[in-house]
Amino acid sequence: MLQRESSFAKEALRYGLIVLVLGFIVFPIAWMIITSFKPADAIMVSPPRFLFTPTLENYVHAIYDKNFLFYIKNTLFISVASTIIVVVTGSLAAYSFARYNVGDGHLLFFILSTKMFPAIAVILPYFLIFREVGKTGIGSFLGIGLDRPGALIISYTVFNLPFAIWLLVSFFQDIPRELEHSARLDGLPRLKVLAKVVCPLAAPGIAVTGVFTLIFSWNEFLFAYILTRKAASTVTVGVESFFTLQGILWGPVAAAATISVLPMLVFVLAMQRYMVRGLTFGAVRG
Amino acid sequence: MSQSLSVPASQERGAASPTAMSDRWFSILLIVPAMLVILVFALLPLAYALDVSFRFADLTRGRIGDFVGLDNYRAVLHDRAFWSSVGVTLKFTLTAVTLEMVLGIAIAFLIHGATAGKGIIRSLMILPLATSAAVTGLFWRYLYDTQFGLINHFLGLVGLPEPNWLGDYTIALWSVILFDVWQWTPFVALIALAGLQALPKEPFEAAELDGASTFRVLRTLTFPMLKPVLFLVLVLRTIDSVRLYDAVAVLTRGGPGTVTETMTFYLYRTGLKLFRMDYASTMAIFFLYAMLVASLFALRPLLTQFSSRASEG
Repeated sequence: MLQRESSFAKEALRYGLIVLVLGFIVFPIAWMIITSFKPADAIMVSPPRFLFTPTLENYVHAIYDKNFLFYIKNTLFISVASTIIVVVTGSLAAYSFARYNVGDGHLLFFILSTKMFPAIAVILPYFLIFREVGKTGIGSFLGIGLDRPGALIISYTVFNLPFAIWLLVSFFQDIPRELEHSARLDGLPRLKVLAKVVCPLAAPGIAVTGVFTLIFSWNEFLFAYILTRKAASTVTVGVESFFTLQGILWGPVAAAATISVLPMLVFVLAMQRYMVRGLTFGAVRG
Repeated sequence: MSQSLSVPASQERGAASPTAMSDRWFSILLIVPAMLVILVFALLPLAYALDVSFRFADLTRGRIGDFVGLDNYRAVLHDRAFWSSVGVTLKFTLTAVTLEMVLGIAIAFLIHGATAGKGIIRSLMILPLATSAAVTGLFWRYLYDTQFGLINHFLGLVGLPEPNWLGDYTIALWSVILFDVWQWTPFVALIALAGLQALPKEPFEAAELDGASTFRVLRTLTFPMLKPVLFLVLVLRTIDSVRLYDAVAVLTRGGPGTVTETMTFYLYRTGLKLFRMDYASTMAIFFLYAMLVASLFALRPLLTQFSSRASEG
């Protein structure tokens, strides 16, 4: 058992270690944000400079010279479109799995196993298929093809849907069935029950799933890197455009990275309570 | 929680029986859109990849070519670069996941014992998970920089050697691992912490009354009860690590030489830089098969366990 006198020292040691761990975790992000406010002459210097007059010139460079907001706009459009499709089709399916147990668990696991696919195995055929579809009239009409937003919307929908279904199933299972039963007994048709009784109760879970899907799409790199060149590129690829012949412009990179990371940091902090649950496909309810 | 409160079976049947068929159709209709998305956009492309793997497809020489049987499969099995990328992937996965698990669990215990400030500690811990490996990984190149990097600056201050993090053959893979550990240890820690906090109190109080040693409590109570959660994290991390791409792409591009070339990166290079789609597709099929087997035998039993526990609880 703990000795009283040693417990203070023990607590001090514990918090010392925690501060050390947190320092290691937070530091790279903090240094990125700090660098984004550094004047050019304080960035490529050795030893690294800690004191400087903050400036917005990196943001100006990223936004005006490199047109970084263009990538933000692309990313926003692609992630939101894909999130809407995922949330709508995912909720319908998840409700069915949670309440009617379609496929007796096998189908649900099959869906998850598609999430475990190595993405590259899907990207190679996507590249070939989108290359051909992009040349056709339908492709250009729907915006599907290489370097078109449709290609990424499809990719992100496919890769987030399994995750979303699993998380949503766990949320639907938490909703008591009595209300649905009584609504059914009152003679309400099933679709009405789903829309008027279940959906309002499931709204928080659906919102959480949507935010997760949005974060994953926003941060995705591999599909974006391979399936787009410029016109439909997202932020993760856009940051790479700061590689120049003179080397990497670290100030503007830091500014662009900060712009693209900040909204996600805010989302994640808002979703804290659901983080563990989301990251384990709903298995650990945290 | 909900299931145990559900309406008695007889009453349920009363509501459902007049429309028993319709229940089934309704449930199937609900999954149709999602299943269509998955079948059309996930399985069809894979079928296409399978088809390409049996053909000659050098995109630098035009379109997808003739059927060549198992030639590509034979070539992959004899390809040194393929096996070397498998080796890099395994080395990365084994090291990174072990480090993340050990550190993550240790950090979870550390935080679990803390009396105050848990909320803010957790908030700070999740930050790396919000960032894209492609974006923060790129910035880590600046931290690793031999001239302007902060890491070497600090190492120099304490008089330690200042390695060439990304350029040295023996160190580059470790630098990628260090970045991955930075990003994913908090993930392990958070989930382990959630597992610790969900443990029932009674067995531990009883053990304390019996005067059991800390080590004995850990060995006989804590770890056995945490095992499912820890296994789930282990499997999820392993599956993710095996597919590593982003960090390699922004930090080292597989180099120096090919010492950090993971399977995904090698596949990308063969398919989309050298345009040997046939060969890349064949490797993708191998890769896919390995992942399917892994998720079937490792992930499925675990998730079944969790979902049955959730419905009992």
